[in-house]
Amino acid sequence: MSTDQSTADLPTTNANPHQPANLVHLQGSQLGLCLCPVCKKLNTSKHSHCRRCYSPLSTRNYASIQQSWALLVTATILLVLANIYPITLLTNRGVVTNDTIFSGISHLVQTGMFPIAIIVFIASILVPWLKIVGLATYLAAISFNLPISKRKLMVGFHIIEWIGRWSMLDLFVISLTVALVNMGQLLDAKPAPAATAFALVILLTQLAAKVLDTRLLWDRLEKTHDTN
Amino acid sequence: MHEIDDHDSIILCRSCDLAVRKRALPSSARAICPRCDTALYDTPYCSINGMLALCVAALIIFVPANLLPVLEIHFLGSIRTTTVTEAAIAVWAQGYWVVGLAVLVAAVIAPALLILSILTQVIIVKLSLNATFWQRIYTTLLKNHGLITQMTMLEIYVISFLVSAFQLSDFSDVYFGMGTFSFTMLFAIILFLQREYNLEHMWSYVDEH
Repeated sequence: MSTDQSTADLPTTNANPHQPANLVHLQGSQLGLCLCPVCKKLNTSKHSHCRRCYSPLSTRNYASIQQSWALLVTATILLVLANIYPITLLTNRGVVTNDTIFSGISHLVQTGMFPIAIIVFIASILVPWLKIVGLATYLAAISFNLPISKRKLMVGFHIIEWIGRWSMLDLFVISLTVALVNMGQLLDAKPAPAATAFALVILLTQLAAKVLDTRLLWDRLEKTHDTN
Repeated sequence: MHEIDDHDSIILCRSCDLAVRKRALPSSARAICPRCDTALYDTPYCSINGMLALCVAALIIFVPANLLPVLEIHFLGSIRTTTVTEAAIAVWAQGYWVVGLAVLVAAVIAPALLILSILTQVIIVKLSLNATFWQRIYTTLLKNHGLITQMTMLEIYVISFLVSAFQLSDFSDVYFGMGTFSFTMLFAIILFLQREYNLEHMWSYVDEH
């Protein structure tokens, strides 16, 4: 397995030759350098396009905070709807029951399938809400300069990026169930409106995390010189 | 503004824009950003032949994984089976095309594109196709690699077999078939393919020209 090795060996510059190397927190923007957003090639900021893949370069994308907020607010509204409205419609011997995400999980608990109930609970309720709260905290920290440890925020952000996709689990289960359970009045499963809302929540929150230029959070270091 | 004479030895953290001096790493070690803990780079190595083998294996197993039924239920004498694509179309047919499309992209289209994309890249590198036409295709594939990887969600689909099986076993008998096995194998092969694949290393072939 990979052993993480941190390279604290930072470029020593002419400006501060006496300062210990690991205390200089120089950013690319101060050195006149920037990464290509597409292929991560190092470029000088004076160029307008990447010298490797010809994508347009930008030192910072300040509009990305607004875009991310907008996507996040939309996702929050949709997530509330996804939790209120039924996500599946089950007909069992003529009796029609609407299941919301939550009632589906409580049904699993009642039938004693705890491990499955926990998996579905994490994927369908915990992950989407954590993602929204986490992203909101992250965006608020940039927008309002909240005194939260940047290191912890960044770790949280990487977790959110990785875990977000697991919400798709519920949609896969619904599609398999709908395809298999189609015996008319006897036993029949159909998707319900919350399914679309839930799919859009996943799409929008993933986009909100993807558009955001995380470098904006770390620019505050220049002003306050805190290293938390 | 400070002047840096040697640009190739410096890299910037993609998350926090910190300038870090790049140095050689032992194999299986990974450099992380000293300020924000983002993974920066690891030993840029990937086996082209190994990836070619995995791509061919993935292409072969892709056919039964998508044509054979992945789940089968027996309920009061009636038998229902479904493939991954049929499951997506079933939701689409009910009018929930957003959900159907999401399932189709995550479980069928993106994995197929991922295999074909890596296969094309590997062939271009292996045969050293230096014509502008091939190099343009190569760059386009690399640019879109991140997006395709993000949309591929086979691991989640494999877990959803288990969740569905448990939920359906409440009122019917559930059976797994060769389709389930093939799909799980497809997931495993693509997992190894993605471990072998190194985007930074693939980009370095463009630098050489």
